[in-house]
Amino acid sequence: MVELVPTLLRQELARLAEDDLRLDGRKQWEGREVTLETDCLYNAEGSAKVVLGDTIVYAGVKFELRTPWPDRPAQGSLMCGAELRPVAHRKYEPGPPSPQSIELGRVVDRGIRESGCIDMESLCIVPGEKVWGVMIDIHVLSDGGNIFDACGLAAIAALRTAIVPAERFDVGEDYTLKVKGTPIMASFTRVGGRYIYDPSEEEELGGDERIHITLGDEGHLHSLQKGLRGVFTPAEFAEIFEVAHHRCTELRTLVANQEGN
Amino acid sequence: MGGYGDVQLLRDDGLRLDGRKIDEMRPVEIEAGVLPAADGSAMVTHGLNVAVAAVYGPMEAHPRKIQRQDRAVIDVRYNMAPFSTSDRIRPGFNRRSREISKVTAEALESVVLVERYPRSKIRVEIEILAAEAGTRCVGLTAAAVALADAGIPMRDLIVGVASGKVEGTVVLDLDKAEDNYGQADLPVGILPNTGEIAFLQMDGDLSPDEFNLAMEYNFKAAAEIHEIMVDALKRRYEGGEN
Amino acid sequence: MSNGQNGAELRLVTPGMAIGPVAGKRVGSGAIAQNDTIIATRLGWTKEFNNTVSVDPINSAYMPRSGDLIVAVVAEVRNNLWFMNVNGPFQGLLPMSLAPWKVEFGAARQHMGIGDVVLARVQEVDECHNVVLTMKGVGLRRLNQGTIVSVPINHIDRLRGEGNATVQRLRDAADSRIIIGENGRVWIDGNAEGTAWARQAIALTQAVGHKTTFEAELSALEQNAPKKGDA
Repeated sequence: MVELVPTLLRQELARLAEDDLRLDGRKQWEGREVTLETDCLYNAEGSAKVVLGDTIVYAGVKFELRTPWPDRPAQGSLMCGAELRPVAHRKYEPGPPSPQSIELGRVVDRGIRESGCIDMESLCIVPGEKVWGVMIDIHVLSDGGNIFDACGLAAIAALRTAIVPAERFDVGEDYTLKVKGTPIMASFTRVGGRYIYDPSEEEELGGDERIHITLGDEGHLHSLQKGLRGVFTPAEFAEIFEVAHHRCTELRTLVANQEGN
Repeated sequence: MGGYGDVQLLRDDGLRLDGRKIDEMRPVEIEAGVLPAADGSAMVTHGLNVAVAAVYGPMEAHPRKIQRQDRAVIDVRYNMAPFSTSDRIRPGFNRRSREISKVTAEALESVVLVERYPRSKIRVEIEILAAEAGTRCVGLTAAAVALADAGIPMRDLIVGVASGKVEGTVVLDLDKAEDNYGQADLPVGILPNTGEIAFLQMDGDLSPDEFNLAMEYNFKAAAEIHEIMVDALKRRYEGGEN
Repeated sequence: MSNGQNGAELRLVTPGMAIGPVAGKRVGSGAIAQNDTIIATRLGWTKEFNNTVSVDPINSAYMPRSGDLIVAVVAEVRNNLWFMNVNGPFQGLLPMSLAPWKVEFGAARQHMGIGDVVLARVQEVDECHNVVLTMKGVGLRRLNQGTIVSVPINHIDRLRGEGNATVQRLRDAADSRIIIGENGRVWIDGNAEGTAWARQAIALTQAVGHKTTFEAELSALEQNAPKKGDA
């Protein structure tokens, strides 16, 4: 469903941008409060719930035994998928996965995969015969804006708490999945002509293009995505990249603190 | 329903594997209004089951062919999250979820005053986040609370409950092992105030006497769950008159 | 908001709950009669007024009624009419003949395009929920500036306050024009500071408008208003 964008909303957002203000009183680079809960889903081998403003997202990790790809006989696999089901918002319709769902899942997938936080060879049980397939499923329950960051955070937090269910599959004892890093996503949307961090639902409705940046522990880029209609300048990117760096470090601490509990 | 297998479901002291009595249900917790984006919502935890329901509407029924000139249609989607079961479920509709969605919609249409909203639809989305036997009942309970939370007029709520039979004994509210190895399962949707039944399924083997006993247990549990539903709805708005 | 309440205690009820015997009483909205008993059909507060028992719902969708003043958004434009989003289940229809301008056939788009916001009145609603809007009338117009804030339908009364007292206080303190649409859309037109304050005040009304602490909290907020009260 294409959402109706009232002209007054775009006008208001443009006016606020001039005064360096936002609808909900936040500063340009200020995020909403984030709460993270892990180990919250019975039956998932790793799980997390993220609440970011009015956005609520769950992620669950499952394992399966499979035969490795012929060209990588000693490597397991990782797959991350997202579902934007109609539960999450009036605007989502039932049916096969939408391009939006697929984009969301793939952007999160790339950030985790390319950070190298999972050693694919550690997922091998018998080379050429038996490896672990790790699947992260992300479920958006309420879209209150910026589901990308919420999904990215839920996915990595769930992965970092996952227990490999070896006993259930008769291949040894259960053990904690080894995850070497904490890739974190930071998302920006152009609202009223300038970029802001962590857009709310209304800011997304009345905004333009968005940029998603996933950074690893060392501050390296692991995934970038520009979505929706619009263009940006290198100078604009340099500015949000700087902000992303700070925000990702803060959120990485949040994940670490949650694990410490 | 499989056979007994090697599993002993009733202990020598007459209690069940998880320590419950024959006619004791698993603990139930309900919270209304959990999803900010929805018009109404609820989360129900029943044993280890977790179901979330969201309601959107009434809105114009699309596509046109599903429109009814004299009433609203209730469009239910029951879905199990991929991580909700011990073996991952591939995303997407399957025959089981389609059937459950259909009978759940029909049950809800029996209590919602659908004639108030001609040509419209009310979307009910039921998501099972964790499954431990009895998810259709938990989903139905969640849907009823979410509809009430959305302010949709209904002549009663519906409570989803199930009884069944294990090792020749009728028991209330089957857990996972009992569901897998038991002999019968009787999930129903009960209107708590009128005592009518809007949802009924059964599989397995029950004698008429066993059926009556199972229904007796179901009504007892429905009364208990109804109190929890009412409490959840009231809790959301405590703090004074509107 | 319990004027006319004759003795009956105010109760929070859930669908299906018995409110009491019919006993000659009329059954109002949010309730039905079943076997001589009045049953609640909505989650809400029971009310008895003029021998009629009803339930004031705590949450409800907007259902247009003729005469409602609403804030609508253009959703579709045809040659001779506009389809308007009215925040209800169905779109409203604004025919060229009920627009405030003299519109030539085919020129509808020149007057209003998709996304434009208007102040309109519901002219007519038929049994099938077809809604016809009009923009002929005093003050009905396209809203070219300002902002829209959404509020739940059941919060509209408390936002207005007794005899519009609350909304008038908001207007004064925010030094802004504020119009409350029956469809849960509030139009605010003021400077940036005033608009931001009005948003805060509306949020406060929603959060604690039903509580005894509301008056004190609103007064406190007024102290920070762009244009302070007369005090």
